[in-house]
Amino acid sequence: MSLFRMAGLAIVLVVSLLFAVFVGDQGPWYFAWVIGTVMIILISGAGAILLDSQLDSSPDNEV
Amino acid sequence: MELYAILKLIWAALLCVLFIGLGLMVGMDMGVGTLLRFVGRNDGERRTALNIIGPHWDGNQVWFILGGGAIFAAFPTLYATSFSVFYVVMILLLFSMILRPVAFEYRSKADSKLWRASWDWVFLISGFLPMFIYGAAFGNILEGVGYHFGWNGQYYQDSSFFSYLLNPFVILCGLMSVSLSVYQGGVMLMIRSEDPIYGRARTYAQRGGILAIILFAVGGLFISRMKGFVLTAPVDPAMPANPLHGQEVAQIAGAWLHNYAVHPALWLLPVLGFACMVLGVLAVRAHNGGLAWWVGLGSWIGTIGTVGAAMFPFLMPSTTAPNQSLTIWNSTASAYGLSCMLVVALIFVPLILCYTSWCYYVMRGKVRTADIIHDSHSY
Amino acid sequence: MDIINPTVVDLSRFQFALTALYHFMFVPLTLGLTFMLAAMETVYVVTGRKIYKEMAQFWGKLFGINFAIGVATGLTMEFEFGTNWSMYSRFFGDMFGTPLAIEGLMAFFMESTFVGLMFFGWDRLSKQAHLAITYLVALGSNLSALWILIANASMNVPEGGHFDPETMRMQFDSFVHVIFNPDAQSKFVHTSVAGYVSAALFVMGISAFYLLRGQHKQFAARSFRMAALFGIISTVAVITLGDVLGRMDYEKQPTKIAAIEGLWHTSKPPYEPWILAALPDDAKQENHFEIGVPFVLTPLIAHDFNTPITGLHELEDAAGPRIQSGIEAVSALRRYGETHQQADLDIFRAHEEDMGYGFLATRHAPNQDVTNISAEALPKVIEETKPDILPNVFVTFWAFRLMVFLALYFFALFAISSYVSLKNKLERNKLLLRLCLWSIPLPILATEFGWITAEAGRQPWTVFNKLPTFLSSSTHSVSYMVFSLAGFTLLYSIFIAAELYLMFKFARLGPEAHDAPHDDATQHPHLTAVSSTPSAAH
Repeated sequence: MSLFRMAGLAIVLVVSLLFAVFVGDQGPWYFAWVIGTVMIILISGAGAILLDSQLDSSPDNEV
Repeated sequence: MELYAILKLIWAALLCVLFIGLGLMVGMDMGVGTLLRFVGRNDGERRTALNIIGPHWDGNQVWFILGGGAIFAAFPTLYATSFSVFYVVMILLLFSMILRPVAFEYRSKADSKLWRASWDWVFLISGFLPMFIYGAAFGNILEGVGYHFGWNGQYYQDSSFFSYLLNPFVILCGLMSVSLSVYQGGVMLMIRSEDPIYGRARTYAQRGGILAIILFAVGGLFISRMKGFVLTAPVDPAMPANPLHGQEVAQIAGAWLHNYAVHPALWLLPVLGFACMVLGVLAVRAHNGGLAWWVGLGSWIGTIGTVGAAMFPFLMPSTTAPNQSLTIWNSTASAYGLSCMLVVALIFVPLILCYTSWCYYVMRGKVRTADIIHDSHSY
Repeated sequence: MDIINPTVVDLSRFQFALTALYHFMFVPLTLGLTFMLAAMETVYVVTGRKIYKEMAQFWGKLFGINFAIGVATGLTMEFEFGTNWSMYSRFFGDMFGTPLAIEGLMAFFMESTFVGLMFFGWDRLSKQAHLAITYLVALGSNLSALWILIANASMNVPEGGHFDPETMRMQFDSFVHVIFNPDAQSKFVHTSVAGYVSAALFVMGISAFYLLRGQHKQFAARSFRMAALFGIISTVAVITLGDVLGRMDYEKQPTKIAAIEGLWHTSKPPYEPWILAALPDDAKQENHFEIGVPFVLTPLIAHDFNTPITGLHELEDAAGPRIQSGIEAVSALRRYGETHQQADLDIFRAHEEDMGYGFLATRHAPNQDVTNISAEALPKVIEETKPDILPNVFVTFWAFRLMVFLALYFFALFAISSYVSLKNKLERNKLLLRLCLWSIPLPILATEFGWITAEAGRQPWTVFNKLPTFLSSSTHSVSYMVFSLAGFTLLYSIFIAAELYLMFKFARLGPEAHDAPHDDATQHPHLTAVSSTPSAAH
């Protein structure tokens, strides 16, 4: 099972690399969109998790 | 045979497949829409019927959108000419098609009786009308359409839309496609519902099937006597796709049977259509919904295949300028465009079939009225 | 004689603009909200906190109301190319139809199939599988935008194809050029990210509404925080890509950039001001008054200090010889189409680049026939055609400015909102919350102005420098147009009324309408305390 998962991850890795090399060369803005969207999602998610911990540690519960 | 000619043939075949897929999948949803007010006597029953196709109607509708897109890409001249020749009808079709998604999404989101009753009528109209126009368009094309092209390829219309809409053969074709869609919709409701919806759906599926058999037979008689079109001089299938020159066409009574006379094996297509419709009615009577659904596919293959075999290689013949009739040889995209599209289709169509089937698998099982009312996600 | 009726052309343009602008009121929200739903659900899957699932479900419900009309009205666009722009579709269908069909196969199918599972599959799929479905819906809707904009870009910057005199149309010859068209790249990212901004402000505004009322505090604070951060990065991206797009237009569509800047005469670097506000007069070809910021225009557009930017008058004068050459191209093309003489083909090849300008002269030629202009009439036809090459400056100028001013406002709003949210001081800043609430429709307005800038600025062409708009339309009668316009007006009014009614209804109702139990309430006691109070309010 873990071998299967490793193989799957390896394929994803190779495809992403090929995508990065080819699209990054031909269409830099498309590449930027992919990276940018992932970044936007991660940052806004991190903001929410930060809010969770801020509220858990503060007694007065102000938002 | 040259590569370009082969590509044109492949795309003509794919066009048939799309028309069949559209008739089957969109027709099924349309049938449920048409039947909605009849199989459901109260709000709970109607919601049950809607939720049976609820998770899938949007995906099915894409067959329709894809049909338009594929004609645009693979047969740009046909797309440009047919959509504007049938302007008024196309706009009516469009109006009913854009009402449907809204009806699905909005109907059950407010409680007012008037609100829901209005949307139920929208379902009836937007289920019946598109299927009627879909069939009627085939009728019109078989009879020929009045248009010609200017020197730069600008198209000009020669007769008004009233002459297309109202004649017995066209109405017959429209009703034929409606009855197939009612059959398919009824069968889908049978598969995923329980009584009382099940029993009513079964009755309507039977009626739809029987009506389709009769209309198919009468339509066949019409076609055999109609003034069809034939090429009077051989054309080069690999010619540049331009309807302005390169072919000679005559309009002769009974010409649509020409292909059947040359290749008797083609008679298998109408036979397949008949056999599947009869078998379908029997399967519905025997309470075998699953078999009836797949046999419905056969009916569509038989019907569209029969028309396609009769018309080949014509796509949309012109009555006023027969030499400019659109055929699969003169109205396709460039060889490069067709090859690109083919590669893309070969990658994505199998993928689409896989994930669509998976979605049906995930949402499988009977839909019960009691579950619908307590589920805030349902339609 | 086959003559084009200018009233039909104008009505067709009006109908297309009406339906496209209407469609685009709903699309940006779909583009952005799907990724916001994915972000919320990601946090749910990672942390396991039920409140994020509620967020995904509640905003998903509003998304569904919006999505339905987006899908429905998109269908109109696909039909209209055939019904109203038949010459365009025949002339350009080989290049334009392909991306459109790929959109259906690759993106729209995926989006539409999985959106059903996204709404209905919560109880039938594992957490991770449902999250994957949400991402596929988001990816599908944005890929859909990608292919549409690739198609649109090939109208603005026709690359990857050539005109073929045998078939009298543009033929596709390079897939890679069409996909990686520089206009397609920057326009896709610009549009998609503009959708993120719309969605972020939508979520932020409605959350602000709850905070103002003191309802659903936990829910609203989290939604607000995520939306504010989502929005600030997206706004920066939208402005960056706007600049890229401007620079691209400067190279490929000089008439558009001159109209955007209201630049009647070639600029004098480096002093040339960037005009903040002016009243461009298209008839007199001048600006009535101007307020400008000196030294800004040249670096803004050319990214240096010494390149002059060509003005509208100079562009118009340069078009004269091209029109004359274009008329020869079109005449030779017609003769070639009828008799297939090699000599005519050679003449056509020599003037091929200017063919579009020849078509443009059609309107001013006797009997709308450029192939039969007498030597005496020629200078007059050319003089009359010259002003036609310019887009409407007033519309392009102001649509662009309003879009830019709004974008700068969003930047400020998101920046302040992010800061206040990170400091957990939202409830004290009632004014900011009210501002957020009332700003909900503004990004929609900004994207509409963006569409107007791009498409009005492309005029008089449907396919830039190849096919003029007035030649592209179908040739049916005015009564057909009246019929369809009346129908669209009626239906679209009903749609917007129904949509607003449901949006307001469900937004007012709030997330508690989902009777999802707070299963992690035991771990976080304050969640129960807070979320149980507002449900008593209605």
